[in-house]
Amino acid sequence: MANTSTNPSAAVGRTKASSLSAAVPRIILYTVLVLFCIYYLLPLYVMVVNSLKPLEEITAGGMMALPNEWTIAPWGSAWSTAQIGVDATGLRPYFVNSLVMVIPAVALSTILGALNGYVLTKWAFRGSTLLFGLLLFGCFIPFQMVLIPMARILGLTGLAGSVPGLVFVHLVYGIGFSTLYFRNYYAAFPTELVRAAQIDGAGFFTIFWRILLPSSGPIAVVCIIWQFTNIWNDFLFGASFSDFDSQPMTVALNNLVQSSTGVKEYNVHFAGAIMAALPTLLVYIVAGRYFVRGLMAGSVKG
Amino acid sequence: MHPAFAGLVTIVIGVGGCLAYFWLSNQFLDKVLFPARGPNAGRNINRANQIRPWLFLFPALFALSLYLAYPVIETIRLSLTERVTQSDGSTIYQFVGLANYAQMADDPKFWEAMFNNMMWLIVVPALSTAFGLLAAQLTDRIKWGNIAKSLIFMPMAISFVGAAVIWKLIYDARPPDASQIGVVNAIYVGLTGNDPVQLLTVPFWNNFFLMIVLVWIQTGFAMVILSAALRGIPEETIEAAIVDGANPFQIFFKIKMPQIMGTIVVVWTTITLVVLKVFDIVFAMTNGQWGTQVLANYMYNQLFVTRDWGVGSASAMIIMLLVTPILIWNVRNARAEMRG
Repeated sequence: MANTSTNPSAAVGRTKASSLSAAVPRIILYTVLVLFCIYYLLPLYVMVVNSLKPLEEITAGGMMALPNEWTIAPWGSAWSTAQIGVDATGLRPYFVNSLVMVIPAVALSTILGALNGYVLTKWAFRGSTLLFGLLLFGCFIPFQMVLIPMARILGLTGLAGSVPGLVFVHLVYGIGFSTLYFRNYYAAFPTELVRAAQIDGAGFFTIFWRILLPSSGPIAVVCIIWQFTNIWNDFLFGASFSDFDSQPMTVALNNLVQSSTGVKEYNVHFAGAIMAALPTLLVYIVAGRYFVRGLMAGSVKG
Repeated sequence: MHPAFAGLVTIVIGVGGCLAYFWLSNQFLDKVLFPARGPNAGRNINRANQIRPWLFLFPALFALSLYLAYPVIETIRLSLTERVTQSDGSTIYQFVGLANYAQMADDPKFWEAMFNNMMWLIVVPALSTAFGLLAAQLTDRIKWGNIAKSLIFMPMAISFVGAAVIWKLIYDARPPDASQIGVVNAIYVGLTGNDPVQLLTVPFWNNFFLMIVLVWIQTGFAMVILSAALRGIPEETIEAAIVDGANPFQIFFKIKMPQIMGTIVVVWTTITLVVLKVFDIVFAMTNGQWGTQVLANYMYNQLFVTRDWGVGSASAMIIMLLVTPILIWNVRNARAEMRG
């Protein structure tokens, strides 16, 4: 806090430190901060703490306390033995489903997005801006619009109720955003370099491979993270287009919580909720900077 | 087939197929269709270069037609038809005009969904933006501000369903004689000594309990974007205000707010788009019972529970109509920004 002159609240606070009126904003400030802490952190705290307790400790009313007896049994149960729908399979098979769905969808939409961005910026042609406008439009179309038509397409192609079917749907939907990212990124890339390479005889692919791709690292990370988070967290498509065997993690989590008859195993539910959120949380913790950048590129510019 | 293996096959086929398509079509264009040799080499190169963009955009165009053109047309069509089973057992889709819309207009659940959606539209963007702005301002120059920011942002990484599960347990109520698990009821019972309340069944107010979940998620988004905007404000304007004796509130509302108004509007509209499509939270927490129906969940119910594709499509059209103005505004904005 060396440069307090640029901090309005601190500066004003110091000049009127003795007066009562300065205390009021401080009190408001701290009250607001405490309330914010409760609102934003309490759910996360409750979730983590209770996933590490035996059920009896929770039902005895020790909801807010740290566990007396630390246990990872709820995690084990949520992972491999908890009741999901009719089977006691735990979340493991659905975790695998989600992975199998996410990885190809992200890889393909990123590759296609990069190529589209390249074509739209460096090989601009008549109608390319209109096309890009439509792509943008497609990014934000409500998913509800496509449910029935997409169900038909999946039915016709025989992909209905399968993981490849979900990959297909997410891929089709992912292209809009990935194109948006790469297009904006490549638009700032010096076109002279591309022209120079052309004069030197480099072809379409060589230019892409040798000139644009090597400098696309940052945007590729942004794009991959964005797609990964969105597709992993999707629920509507998963709930609409998957069979029991192919449902992704989010749908299975909902089933885990809804289907438990008899005793509600709160600790298992919490553990499952964390498990479902873990991959995206990890991505966010490891690469939060890129996550935020993608968010800004995706919203402010789109 | 083992799912992991199936996944691997999908990846190989998908990625391989894409690359093969790009490479082969390119080869075809250069070597067979318009070879860059012979008497017309120059013209051929030009022609090939004119066609090439379309070649490479084909997958995108294909996807675009699949997710934009076809669904819109098909949904409009379906919203005007009714499934009829004929005497021989086959089903056809018969044109019924606006009957589906009329049927929907007679459904009190639809109007409940409309009304609730309007409440969501006002409350969630307003609260998320306001809280986000507040958090951005308060954490901006505090030492541990960045940690606070990361924590407030954390819910953004959690899926809507995950958040719904967490909050459902926070709203949980158990019989009066048992100790309360849900935080809200634990506090409520502890403070007042009253019987616990099934919060998600309280008419009218339960809508707000659901909205709180979305606000919890979206605040981080608003905060991050607005925080960047706040940092972009020129220091001189604030210093000048301090010199003129403005108090912190005046600085915030009269100096800072007007300068970031554009960003506030963008954040607001982006959250509005999310709200119009909100489905997961309502589905997982109440499934539209106890007066909490929203349009997206109404549509889902028509589709998968009632199995009425006509009314389902009609309600999808309503969502689309509500989203379109914001969409157009957003796209125009984005393109103006890119040109500038």
